[in-house]
Amino acid sequence: MIVGKQKSIAEIREIVLPYKKLLVLGCGTCVKTCFAGGEDEVATLSSALRLSFKKDGRSIYIEELTVERQCEDEFIREAAVAISKNTAVLSLACGAGVQAIARRFANVPVLPGVNTTFIGVLEKQGLFTEECLGCGDCQLAVFGGVCPVSRCAKKLQNGPCGGSRNGKCEINPDTDCAWQQIITRLTALGQLDNLRKYNPPKDWRTSHAGGPRKLVREDHVI
Amino acid sequence: MIKKYKPQITLFHCINAFDNCASLPVSTGGAFELKPVKMACSSMVKDVFLLRAFEAGADAVAVFVCPEGQCRYVEGNIRAKKRVNFVKNLLDEIGLSGRRLSLHNVECGDTENAVRILQQVLSDINDMGPSPAK
Amino acid sequence: MKPESPSNLQRVLSDGKFAVTAECGPPRGADLEIIRRKGELLRGHADAVNVTDNQTAIVRMSSIAACVHLSAMGLEPVMQMVTRDRNRIALQSDILGAYSLGIRNILCLSGDHQTFGSQPDAMNVFDIDSVNLVHMVKVMKTDGKDMSGFDLVSSPRMFIGAAANPFADPFEYRVIRLAKKIDAGADFIQTQCVYNLDRFKEWMRLAREEGLTEKVHILAGITPLKSEGMAKYMAKKVAGMDVPDSVIKRMGGVPKGKAAEKGLDICLETIAALREIKGVHGIHIMAIEWEEIVGRIVETAGLSPRPVTA
Ligand code: SF4
Ligand code: SF4
Repeated sequence: MIVGKQKSIAEIREIVLPYKKLLVLGCGTCVKTCFAGGEDEVATLSSALRLSFKKDGRSIYIEELTVERQCEDEFIREAAVAISKNTAVLSLACGAGVQAIARRFANVPVLPGVNTTFIGVLEKQGLFTEECLGCGDCQLAVFGGVCPVSRCAKKLQNGPCGGSRNGKCEINPDTDCAWQQIITRLTALGQLDNLRKYNPPKDWRTSHAGGPRKLVREDHVI
Repeated sequence: MIKKYKPQITLFHCINAFDNCASLPVSTGGAFELKPVKMACSSMVKDVFLLRAFEAGADAVAVFVCPEGQCRYVEGNIRAKKRVNFVKNLLDEIGLSGRRLSLHNVECGDTENAVRILQQVLSDINDMGPSPAK
Repeated sequence: MKPESPSNLQRVLSDGKFAVTAECGPPRGADLEIIRRKGELLRGHADAVNVTDNQTAIVRMSSIAACVHLSAMGLEPVMQMVTRDRNRIALQSDILGAYSLGIRNILCLSGDHQTFGSQPDAMNVFDIDSVNLVHMVKVMKTDGKDMSGFDLVSSPRMFIGAAANPFADPFEYRVIRLAKKIDAGADFIQTQCVYNLDRFKEWMRLAREEGLTEKVHILAGITPLKSEGMAKYMAKKVAGMDVPDSVIKRMGGVPKGKAAEKGLDICLETIAALREIKGVHGIHIMAIEWEEIVGRIVETAGLSPRPVTA
């Protein structure tokens, strides 16, 4: 899933300040799961914004709506009427959702209310961890299902750096060293030999380094 | 004519912790106006309900939950505490002061303590003045 | 320097002599005098001088420039190069440039993460890792090709170094990693500072078992301790450093004014022990901002004068 975190009230206030009628638009998929932009967060943020403006003697009209997914046209359409009634949209979706809405409604300012942070998993209640950078050339088979691109702070492809200590990464004692995990897992799988092989420099063309990417599925294009 | 200001307190209470609002000496004609909100378990208190109480004009919001370790639903009161802390931070961010929101562990049937707590809340309001977002 | 002549360090090592290298950190400024002063302190005491590349991710005078200044003084530099700050295009271009300026030794590193440095807000690169870098320099040298396979007009023939940390985890993998660096093309290895001799010996034993000491020159890292505080700081704060409690205790066991002498004692004992270990072909002295001590260490350890190879 995509993991994000709601921006601070102060920053959101700043960006919505010019608008009198605001649609706070939630997304019911990833950002809902990470408590950044689902229905509950839409309600809480709207209430907080109203209180914040009222306190300063300003008024703002806020409408609240949450659609299933802001990154799919089918669901975006459900927001069309609400969007037409307001002067701006504060989207609590990930960056993709915000842009999908903006692309669809050319004349309405669409503002981000969430900082999109990573592709990750819910490791346990309240804890989300980064797992994938979308490099476009997945090599998890070699690394025992632990990604050195996203989970090693130096993206090392040929083994741990000299800072790996007690299973933790040199950058932070709270961060696991991906390479320790790779080695532990490959040892358990009896595949440690994977790591004797030299891994050549990664071809980053498939990653974001090659510019914005596109996926075309001819079989689905009509 | 400006209406005479009377502090308003919204009280969210878990019925297992406290369910005797009628016995509170403040219900009618007291020093403040009390808006009680009953909950079957304190875990039902959501962030937005707390904020909406302020939107509805509360000067302070108090949440009564069972003593820790005594929640009928195991951890409802712990959840409530975490949410209250989250909203306190939010109130600070807004500039409404987190002090206006408080959580209290109340032993079931201890009306005396409930009254004492509400008086403390009232005195806090008197310190801070009415909510600026009224 | 003649284009094809091997470096002094390479000659010392291939002559089977016990090598000494020392480290020199470039200044946080454009001052040439600081490099000159440090160079003078090291003159005659080391076969080559390592010049760090924005060590600990703090901006300093570039490694290449500082290497050139040392060369001009008649000292032989080892250019350190990290993959943190440059992508493969910049790395290759800098290697070509460095070689054209007379630099003959390179130490290939991935580099400390920028969160440690003075500019944690920087973007890092890590396009390739240190093993890839070793391989890249090796292919340039032996095949005369850059990474794209293009035939270089004239190829840089660097003496290639890599780092190894016998004290980092996971220990089992440390020797495999060493083997990878050697296979990729490393001619010499400089290790993390040795304070834990037992662990170092065990690592060397494993390296010998794998036949690695036959294929590469291992130079053991040495950093003289100045005080108990420094020992503790290294133990706790410096990533990948292993300073046993016994060493900290020895440093703390003497009055403050005598601590540096005690540090020197420990350092000399360590060097003596290292010279007994089969497969250790030299030492690399990293006297951080304490270059004046290097001469004394080398002389007292009986490693002076340095061989003349020319
Ligand atoms: S290898 Fe690439 S695609 Fe696979 S998990 Fe890592 S970043 Fe994602
Ligand atoms: S400590 Fe481990 S995860 Fe961290 S940079 Fe080094 S190898 Fe990567």
